[in-house]
Amino acid sequence: MTPAPERPADGPTHTTATRDENMAQAPDADPTPVAPPVRGRTLPLLRIAAVLGLVVVAIALAYLRSGSGLVVTQAVVTGILIGGIYGLVAMGLTLIFGVLDIVNFAHGAFLALALFATYWLVASYGMHPYLALAVSIPVMFGLGALVQRGVLAGAMGKPLENQLLITLGLALIIENALLLFFEANPRSVALPGDRAVPILGAVAELSRILAFAGAIVLAGLLFLLLQRTRLGTAIRAVAANDTGAQMVGIDTRRIYMITFAIGTACAGAAGTLVAPLVTIEPTTGALFNIIAFVVVVLGGMGNVVGALLGGLIIGLAEQVGALLLPGQSPLLSVFIVFVLVLFLRPQGLFGRSA
Amino acid sequence: MRKTWIAATACTLAVGLAACGGSAPVGATDSPSGEGVAPGERIKIGSLHPLSGGAAADGQQMDNGARLAVEAINEAGGIAALGGAELELLSADTQGKPEVGQSEAQRLIQEGAVSLVGTYQSAVTANVSTVAERNQVPLVIDVSAADSILQQGYRYTFRIQPSSEVLGTRGAQYLAEVSAAAGSPAQSVAILHEQGAYGSSIRDAFTVEAEKLGMTIGPVLAYDPASVADFTTQLTQIKAAGVDVLAVTGYYRDGVLVAQAVDTVEPGLDAVYGVANGAFDLPQFPAEVGAAGEGYFDANYHSDMTKPEMQELARLYQERFGDQIRTGAVLAYDAVRVIAESLENAGSADATAVRDAIAQGEFETYLASTGPIVFNEAGENENAIPILMQVQDGAVKQVHPEEFAEAEPVYPAEPGQQVR
Repeated sequence: MTPAPERPADGPTHTTATRDENMAQAPDADPTPVAPPVRGRTLPLLRIAAVLGLVVVAIALAYLRSGSGLVVTQAVVTGILIGGIYGLVAMGLTLIFGVLDIVNFAHGAFLALALFATYWLVASYGMHPYLALAVSIPVMFGLGALVQRGVLAGAMGKPLENQLLITLGLALIIENALLLFFEANPRSVALPGDRAVPILGAVAELSRILAFAGAIVLAGLLFLLLQRTRLGTAIRAVAANDTGAQMVGIDTRRIYMITFAIGTACAGAAGTLVAPLVTIEPTTGALFNIIAFVVVVLGGMGNVVGALLGGLIIGLAEQVGALLLPGQSPLLSVFIVFVLVLFLRPQGLFGRSA
Repeated sequence: MRKTWIAATACTLAVGLAACGGSAPVGATDSPSGEGVAPGERIKIGSLHPLSGGAAADGQQMDNGARLAVEAINEAGGIAALGGAELELLSADTQGKPEVGQSEAQRLIQEGAVSLVGTYQSAVTANVSTVAERNQVPLVIDVSAADSILQQGYRYTFRIQPSSEVLGTRGAQYLAEVSAAAGSPAQSVAILHEQGAYGSSIRDAFTVEAEKLGMTIGPVLAYDPASVADFTTQLTQIKAAGVDVLAVTGYYRDGVLVAQAVDTVEPGLDAVYGVANGAFDLPQFPAEVGAAGEGYFDANYHSDMTKPEMQELARLYQERFGDQIRTGAVLAYDAVRVIAESLENAGSADATAVRDAIAQGEFETYLASTGPIVFNEAGENENAIPILMQVQDGAVKQVHPEEFAEAEPVYPAEPGQQVR
């Protein structure tokens, strides 16, 4: 876990003007942009190809091992759909980590909060679960802004453990407040018209497919926001070099607040989208925390699209790995993949581009 | 940060002082009327359960159950042999963490608890039992399945629920009996179980007995209950294997996921059969999964709803806490009654005397069992057995053995199909 703003000595003179990738590649890539339009795109492509190759090999092995095409197809379909959900949960986390340099342990608790908000809207107003997005996203955005400005702003730039303990404390407060107000009995949200959908002989629940689609849409929106808007450019500038960003007139405190709020809103969207899939308890959000951290590191900290791809890899590793190593915890294959990636590419599979 | 610390210290001090104030008079026991109890002094029983954390729903139920028992005993005049001394329940939150359970057990004993009841999670119970043993204070376990807890040669630890060996063995027998009686004996069984000590010990006992009864077992799939998010791949494997019955051992959240996956994959089973499953026999289960849970079996220890006094307790619980009673709460209720009756029999509130009375006594139970609660050498309840439940018309019904049956078992019960 290297701290985010890794500044090349010559950084501030040109980083704000140029693009994102250079921090991750700082050690190896030549920072002087000879051919700016390419922006190092060929490298990730190669890596994606390598990853895809490995995935295909793993699937082939799983087929040899289980001897049933249907089982393998099901594992791949399930893995991709679960992976989308993992990516969805990890997106907000990676954004916050990349820009604010905060390991946000409260992310799962924010997710739980959105789950309960969704439950409450569905149970008391009979709202369609997905319509609750219109409430959960803005509410969680506002809450994120409040939390960042009110609680975390004072700890910015302080040692890492300060923020870590604050977010851990926030998680405890949120979880136990939910326990107090909603009591401990498990709850659920049913999606009207949820049914099994056949995919290439395999099946999947409609709600999972929709959550997956939601993850892709959200990743796309975040990508556009970061790459194509002034706000996104400012966020990337702050992530790259906050001092430099200040020097060119960016209000970094505002950017910190907005970024944390966006990250929390992502947790809100994720919470509403997964509500029909999970048993809703105050601790449900925390279940996703560990996997989400793995996905964040795997995808490259601060890389939103990387988080989605990292989620897919973890989902596939979990499902296909369970076929390859029967009788073992699916987490075993997940962590084998994770350790391999950390060993071969400590900065994450897809470099870094906040 | 510093302010927080000051506040925290202040709170701890306040609580600590209050605790000292409460426990101080316990030392003064030179009273003539009863051994160990001053007149007007209440006898303290410690209740250790996870009131927060992932198992909070069960933990709170169990704490409520213990509280109801204490109230019922006090209303009936307290402990007659000790001059009508009343009971007092000291509740503590283990948070589901072994180290917290251990320190809370120590605290309750220092506050004068003459017996402990708890704790739901096996890992917590294991730690609490060492504290009980060291302090020579009896621990009556309401729920905790791990066999290892009572294999330490402890003298002060007793367990009301059946051990995993009894649960697994009986589970296999009931499956054979019910399916044979319906004319389509189960021949091949797949097992899906959580990977911890609880799941694997049940799997072993079930497998041994099922094979003895002529069933073939396989595939056997394990999963991690803390992280599992979807069972469609496992269910597709089971579908590909073409088995008659799927046996499932696990907790609540994963049980719901299994039911959703069975509904999606439609593996064509005769039955989904829980063995000591933490989901399929809970009233919340049919409510959460709806029609998908129809026909699910569960062979598990359970309160005996055919007993009128148990129905009365269920009604009281509903009225008092606005929730349906779970078996965990009934076990906690029974555990407190075991302690109260032992106080009565011993005629003393001395922990060692209570321990001997527990070891020798016979106690009434609301649990479905072959007789009263009687503890053997190791501290296991000799008469504890599981019974078979089935979800019928959206409610959990006792269906087997016959003496506990509220309704006829329906077999085969293809999952999700409306049970006739």
